[in-house]
Amino acid sequence: MENLIANIGLNLIQGLVLLIFSPLIMGIINKVKARLQKRMGASIFQEYFDLFKWWRKPTIITPYTTSIFILAPVVYFMTSLYAATMVPGFLTGQFSAGDAFIFVYILALGRFFMTLSSMDAATSFGGMGGSREIYVSVLVEPAIMLAILINSLRYHSTTLSGMIIDYDGAYFTISAVLTCIAFFLVMLAENSRLPVDNPDTHLELTMIHEGMTLEYSGKLLTLIHLGSYLKIIVFLTLFGALYFPINIPLWLKILLGAVIIGIVETLNNKMRLFKVRVYLGAAIVFLLLAIVAE
Amino acid sequence: MDFIVISLLIYLLGTVTIVWPKNAELIAHYLGMLCAVVASGMVTYASAAYLLNPVDEWLVEGVWGSYSIQADAWSAAFLLLTGVAGVIISIYAMGYGKTYLGNRIRLLGGLWNLFLLSMVTVLIAGDAFTFIVFWEIMALVSFLLVNHEADKKKTVSASYQYMVMTHIGTAAIMVAFYMVGSCSESFSFTDMSGNTLSGYMKDIAFICAFLGFALKSGLMPLHIWLPNAHPAAPSHVSAMMSGVMLKVALYGFGRFAFQFIGMDIFWHGFVVMVVGLISAFLGILYASMETDMKRILAYSSVENMGIIFSAFGCGMLLYSMQLTSVSVIAFTAALVHACSHSLMKGLMFMSAGAVKHALGSKNIELMGGLAKKMPYTALFTLIGSMSLASLPFTSGLVGEWLTLQSFITLAQQAGTPEMRLLVVFAFIMLGLTGATALGCFVRMYGVAFLGRARTGIVKKAHEVSGFMLFGMGLEAVLIVVIGVMPDILVNMMQGVFSRFSVVSMGTPMGIIWGGSGQYAIYSPGIIFGIFVIFSIFMVAALYRSSNFVYKDVTWNCGTEPTSRQQYSATGFSKPLRRTFEKILSPKRRMTYLRKEHAYFGRKLQYNLEIPDLFNDKLYKPVQQMMINSSSAFHKIQEGSVSIYIGYTMIAMIFVLIWGVLL
Repeated sequence: MENLIANIGLNLIQGLVLLIFSPLIMGIINKVKARLQKRMGASIFQEYFDLFKWWRKPTIITPYTTSIFILAPVVYFMTSLYAATMVPGFLTGQFSAGDAFIFVYILALGRFFMTLSSMDAATSFGGMGGSREIYVSVLVEPAIMLAILINSLRYHSTTLSGMIIDYDGAYFTISAVLTCIAFFLVMLAENSRLPVDNPDTHLELTMIHEGMTLEYSGKLLTLIHLGSYLKIIVFLTLFGALYFPINIPLWLKILLGAVIIGIVETLNNKMRLFKVRVYLGAAIVFLLLAIVAE
Repeated sequence: MDFIVISLLIYLLGTVTIVWPKNAELIAHYLGMLCAVVASGMVTYASAAYLLNPVDEWLVEGVWGSYSIQADAWSAAFLLLTGVAGVIISIYAMGYGKTYLGNRIRLLGGLWNLFLLSMVTVLIAGDAFTFIVFWEIMALVSFLLVNHEADKKKTVSASYQYMVMTHIGTAAIMVAFYMVGSCSESFSFTDMSGNTLSGYMKDIAFICAFLGFALKSGLMPLHIWLPNAHPAAPSHVSAMMSGVMLKVALYGFGRFAFQFIGMDIFWHGFVVMVVGLISAFLGILYASMETDMKRILAYSSVENMGIIFSAFGCGMLLYSMQLTSVSVIAFTAALVHACSHSLMKGLMFMSAGAVKHALGSKNIELMGGLAKKMPYTALFTLIGSMSLASLPFTSGLVGEWLTLQSFITLAQQAGTPEMRLLVVFAFIMLGLTGATALGCFVRMYGVAFLGRARTGIVKKAHEVSGFMLFGMGLEAVLIVVIGVMPDILVNMMQGVFSRFSVVSMGTPMGIIWGGSGQYAIYSPGIIFGIFVIFSIFMVAALYRSSNFVYKDVTWNCGTEPTSRQQYSATGFSKPLRRTFEKILSPKRRMTYLRKEHAYFGRKLQYNLEIPDLFNDKLYKPVQQMMINSSSAFHKIQEGSVSIYIGYTMIAMIFVLIWGVLL
């Protein structure tokens, strides 16, 4: 029992550490993008200032909304934070209540409330964003399931800490490389990054995640942004610990992942909404090949 | 005397309300429902006590001539489910049934008791005759209940379709029983388990049993009665049919699989699993296209029964590969998901009933903003929706998680490439199903309960009566309790199979399941505690801050936003419809009603129809074939007596010649 409490404490500390560093990772991604576009770009600490700015602004809410509207950002942030306590890597070998399927469904809980809140403000943009978010998530979910299946077949466990790459055996295999590519594609879609969703615009034709959050302001907006920054660092950690088959320290993998995201976002345009199924279909095919090659 | 037998007598007492004097209808109604509550409570108590105390061999046993009853642990699990649903839905029906005052309410109460009686008796039947007789009573009584609002044309066609379909199923089940019984020269279940069925006879018996029970539990492609019958029936009847009657079919199938046919043939489990997976995905896909609240729920029942049967099939596969001890996890998954589906589908049909009671409509396109008018119903429906989307802290995830774990076990333990491919297919299907279910219930809840009222009917909406709220609330509490402390249910259901297993899964903290180097943990209790405490702190901190909430109307480019600018349910599911249009083949038709101006102010009419795939491709051709063949026979059936006498003469002459020649 004491062991359990100590482990829960350690997991919470890990969550807080990831929470503190998550805006920094976003800053790095934005800096990489700016440099590749031959701009100086903002400082890598800009996201902290932005969050602080949003936090100080008043929160304005549509009178049509119900309490779901206030609850949703809190739940979204909490699910991201909980996911951050679950991911392995910094606490390798510790007891973790982190089962991979629970990880997926915890994030689904956040998505459930965010899509509900998008319909709560009674606007067209909100519903549009929610509808598209569901569409993308339907295509993402089979791919994530397959990625979990591959690692659990390889390491005979479905807990996240049991699925970490084992550097004692053969880890740089064809199967591992294919899984790595596929998970990266899935990660971009799940975190509403560029080829699937454009986080920088507020144009109704392009936005998915931003469409859902359009009615939010002030403190609630801060929570949503912090939640999505946290989700990115969580996915990068997961990517590094479970799927990136090169033996370097985890923090380096996370940085490398952030830089790669920056490069990919510079090189690609946002694709048409109904092309996304081809994109995620490709990820699923990679995963199938990986299972065959396993 | 035994609790179960007494409860049967009380149900029988409840049916007396059919002949109650007409001027005291309300008393008859309350009396009938009270009988149902008391009797179901006794069933719950007896079966729970039996499951918690695994010493007794039989829950109930008795023989009367050629009829006999006996109930083992497999029956007890389903009796528990029936009892809980019976108590809660009957309490709800005390309030809801009052809408039928002056509309054959005495009949409704009496049949309700008879329906419960027949289901309980099917579950404790000890021989094939008792089973078939009460199975048939169950089918007929549920037909009468579906047909209760017989003044509507749609109801009549739906209930007759149900009648025809369910009898096809009964016929198949009778054939299966006959084949097993004739091999064991007795129709009592104990004797039938020692049958000598073998070879292709066994396959035929399996096919018949699967056909019959799959039809009753609404697996694709035999589901077509289900989305029509549920919306037609009164809401508490749909809750009972979806929550319990579909599971009674699972009980029957399990009885065949465990006891009569055995699970040693590989492809039996394979077929069950694949059919289950396909039903799961197609069911939820159709559900997310519907706009009628009860049709959404009916298709979602198809989905959940699909998941249950796929877990069961996975167990059969594992068992056929001699992996008896790990097959338990799959069977437990099926049983746990059956229990939690019974709870959540009961809740959701009850809340659909509450909404219909308050608004007079089931079409979600006409609703919007109900959460403000009916706050408690909205809260309970939110919990039900979360559970059906299998989110954490609700019972929905427990069964789903165990199902996923059993699939992983199949891939790891079997190890063959074919099994891996099957599991890959299963994971893709369940992944699609899970995400689509989330979308489906976000859509249903968001359109109906959130946002602004789309039409005037929402204005007169009001919160429903205490009985109805109490029923829904009880169900919601159970869902959350099981979601937070799944070990209660999982241990109990695993105990059903403890006779052939030594795997341990439940712990006081949650589920830990270990076997051959693999382990998986799900302990939602701790997560839930931390989660809720932090969230409460955060909401409190938000509210305390000085500049938290200003209310102001949404910015709409300078104009006043109208309620028609919200996303509609049809629009919300458009991306999915387009992605899967090869399966759904939607038929859309746009008509310009008025076209004075080229761009602005023209009136459009938009019709969208999504025909059921199997209805068009399977049932319509069969129906056409039958009509064609009967009209061919019609040519020799002229209807005039003299021609028939002529036929008789020709037949006589033919027989005479035949006799002479031989």
